[in-house]
Amino acid sequence: MLRAAGAIAALLLSLVATAATAQRVERAGPLPGPSLGGPADSSVPPSVPSAPTVPELIVDLSQARVSITSAFQGESLLLFGMFDPPGEIVVVVQGPPARETVMRKERFLGLWLNTGRQSFDDVPAYYFIAASAPLQRLLARGAGGEILSLEDRLSSIRPVRWRSSEELAKFRGGLVEVKRREDLYPAAFGQVTVQANRLFRAELPFPSRLPEGVYDVRAYLLREGKIVAAVSRPLPVGKVGFNAQLAGWSRQEGALYGLGAIVMALALGWLGGAVVRRL
Amino acid sequence: MEIYLPIAEQSMNVFVLFALGAAAGLLAGMFGVGGGFLATPMLIFVGIPPTVAVASQANQVIANSISSLQVQWRRGNVDLRMGLVLLLGGMLGSSAGVSLFTWLKRIGQIDFVIAVMYVLMLSSIGLLMLFESLRTYFRRRRDPTGPRGKLHTHYLVHRLPWKMRFYKSKLYISAFLPIGLGFVIGILSAILGVGGGFVLVPAMIYLLGMPTSVVIGTSNFQILFVAANVTFLQAVTNGTVDVVLALLLILGGVVGAPIGSRIAAKLPGVVLRGLMAVLVLGVAMQLLFELLRTPVSAYSLGVREVLP
Repeated sequence: MLRAAGAIAALLLSLVATAATAQRVERAGPLPGPSLGGPADSSVPPSVPSAPTVPELIVDLSQARVSITSAFQGESLLLFGMFDPPGEIVVVVQGPPARETVMRKERFLGLWLNTGRQSFDDVPAYYFIAASAPLQRLLARGAGGEILSLEDRLSSIRPVRWRSSEELAKFRGGLVEVKRREDLYPAAFGQVTVQANRLFRAELPFPSRLPEGVYDVRAYLLREGKIVAAVSRPLPVGKVGFNAQLAGWSRQEGALYGLGAIVMALALGWLGGAVVRRL
Repeated sequence: MEIYLPIAEQSMNVFVLFALGAAAGLLAGMFGVGGGFLATPMLIFVGIPPTVAVASQANQVIANSISSLQVQWRRGNVDLRMGLVLLLGGMLGSSAGVSLFTWLKRIGQIDFVIAVMYVLMLSSIGLLMLFESLRTYFRRRRDPTGPRGKLHTHYLVHRLPWKMRFYKSKLYISAFLPIGLGFVIGILSAILGVGGGFVLVPAMIYLLGMPTSVVIGTSNFQILFVAANVTFLQAVTNGTVDVVLALLLILGGVVGAPIGSRIAAKLPGVVLRGLMAVLVLGVAMQLLFELLRTPVSAYSLGVREVLP
């Protein structure tokens, strides 16, 4: 019992420390009261001169980055933090935006082949939302301007070439379908679990086919439908070690990479052939 | 055990890939062909992007042909002159093939073209082989000695100009023939990731009329260089060669090949060719089925482009 309490205290301490050093606390609008000043927020003068006050919303991740190693099969990160009650928590994770080309197959002489294509700009590589209460209810109360459901987020992606709006809607639907299948747009809303009315946690599921880049993890504290605090953290996703090196060579030093691949195949084939004939 | 493939950008079971390489090696050992025609479609079935499957398979073909060439060279079964002339066509063909590949990839039709070409090629070769082995089987049952054919028959193609003497192959034919043949094989190699041995070997025997003894060695010689050219060009232009994937396939192949040749030593040739025909047709049918059936989703995504 005592041990557990000690562990919780340690966790809180580390949270405060993290908040003081590594966090970017964003203010959503003017906020009332002096108790809300966070140490990382320089725009608000410290109104309480003594012990540093705890900001309203503190967030950390179980890992500072997602490392794609040779053993990578997708990963689940834990987002955890603390907030000043009352309120509800919403977490939005977005992959880096890019141009995606959606292709549509149609039957042609009995065979299925790609007949139509449509590119969109500003498509997030990944999109995930988790909330501590049913999201529809939270968003209905007015926070929808900043917190976007996947549908709202995708309504802003820009088609590279214009077509009729129903055609565009079909391609947009196709995009979601493919991304869902690859678990890049997880279909279910995630659950933010609140404990002791102050601590919260959420699992962020990342699949194995994860595009690289800097992801944006955002947590919002909502009170009566209004955002009262928001914390944003960049989450780099990338190949590391051997994988990163190979991918880098393949991209930048194609000729050298090709020669290397040829030499490897020659050496292994030669050796393999020689060894096998001895057996 | 899963391993992340850095170029294919997904994780795959190590043993599945190793087994695929071993199956290709087994075929190489049994039938004297590269086995790429089976391994590439299989890689696509298990979910490797076709572009990566083709380019990485070309890399594996290099390993396959060098270990086979080692033996053939020592036995003096390589017609170097013929090999070089074939190679001239092969280099041109494979370079053109990689450009074609890049273009097809850009317009989003590469997967379809790969599938259709496999279906056409595998079904025609499979049927030819099946009929041939059935005919031999029944003829042999009637007359165990069988009639001997001519050394080689002469067709219209032998009247083409620019004749060259190939001493080792005992041929005096137009250089356009092997150059053209090499060109076609080069294109196949670039687009399908195969060595092309299963097309090249019969073509050398029936079309060029080369003696069987030098066919395998000479085709291996040409395939080695063409596969190296394809690997290099794919790496430079498309960046789709996954060396981790190729490594697993090669290791599998090293294990599979001797098992294949041991099996081949125990089975009569006709049965062997019949088996191979059935296998080739099976793969062709599977690919055709994939093209004909209604896809799970009509939509797919092309290459993601991160704009600066």
